[in-house]
Amino acid sequence: MAEFRLPPNSRIDQAAGKTFSAPAGARNLRRFRIYRFDPAAGSRPRIDSYQLDMASCGPMVLDALLKIKNEIDPTLSLRRSCREGICGSCAMNINGLNTLACTKACNELGRGDISIYPLPHLPVVKDLVTDLTNFYAQYAAVKPWLQTATPTPPDRERLQSKEEQQRIDRPSACILCACCSTACPSYWWNSERYLGPAALLAAYRWIVDSRDEATGERLDALEDPFRLYRCHTIMNCTEACPKDLNPAKAIGAIKKMLVERQH
Amino acid sequence: MSLRAPLARALHHGSAHDGVGHWLIQRVTAVALAPLAIWLLIALLSLPSSDYPTVTGWIGAGLHPVLLALTLLIASWHSWLGIQEVIEDYVHGFVSKSSALLASLFVHVLFAAGGVYAVLRIALAGGA
Repeated sequence: MAEFRLPPNSRIDQAAGKTFSAPAGARNLRRFRIYRFDPAAGSRPRIDSYQLDMASCGPMVLDALLKIKNEIDPTLSLRRSCREGICGSCAMNINGLNTLACTKACNELGRGDISIYPLPHLPVVKDLVTDLTNFYAQYAAVKPWLQTATPTPPDRERLQSKEEQQRIDRPSACILCACCSTACPSYWWNSERYLGPAALLAAYRWIVDSRDEATGERLDALEDPFRLYRCHTIMNCTEACPKDLNPAKAIGAIKKMLVERQH
Repeated sequence: MSLRAPLARALHHGSAHDGVGHWLIQRVTAVALAPLAIWLLIALLSLPSSDYPTVTGWIGAGLHPVLLALTLLIASWHSWLGIQEVIEDYVHGFVSKSSALLASLFVHVLFAAGGVYAVLRIALAGGA
């Protein structure tokens, strides 16, 4: 039977949330409402509320999170590394949109409270840290590396023209932060079998690579009602991408190539 | 609990090498339905009255039965493909999914066959 209620570990315990007020004398106040969950603790998730003095905080959401972790509540867990939008570690759901905490400025988010949740529809390891095992496995499944039969020229690299490079230039900029895939309803309902926008964008990047000689095999591997065709052009992926890439367009191009090779 | 490697799970049973036809036919039937639906809507709205003899007379006239039968068949086909997508999106158990897909197929075939039979019966009776 269909289940209409979320399992207990997905239901937020509204009464359990803790509140941390700003120190006295703070003037530029902002409240951060952050999802907290520790599966090992056995209790349900809660929303903790932290008041910060923005006058003594960096501009980005990640600055605020690190201020909370360093100065208010060291039990808060999150991933971060480069703090400049290139590692993809701090992907999370901020005010309802998946994005990178390090490149999202607090003052881009209006004036109200800022709500921070982990990426949607993934198992939570703790607080804002999600389990991306399946996401990475799907990336590996599209064989994201150069496949050729022609040997490498002995005296130089495999060359590309400027136009050929431009075809892979944007898709190569994907940092695998998972903002797109976890924003996609089709991925929520069928993440076991639908590859999701990130893996499909990676597949596209190798399909259109002029040096690659496995285009046919790559298209064969994607020609599947679930792997590719769960995409219903909802375009949340493109909306969410913090690198301004367009996975929806890449998926559309793959579908077009599959039709073209039949006619 | 499974100790299978994540990659093995992601690769699952491999590609079904299918889906292009489904995707293409969904779009071709949509393109075909656009003029047919507009024709049907305008024709029905411009009927002088909606009493039984007027409507059956209109159904049997000229090329109307052909266009009506086509509309019914293509609409059923398009709807069957669309509902299949919805079921595959939301229904996950093997038994419930298979039952839903079968039920949808049978209902659509029944609808198409019944509709075409009704059109033909009116058209042929009118012609006799």
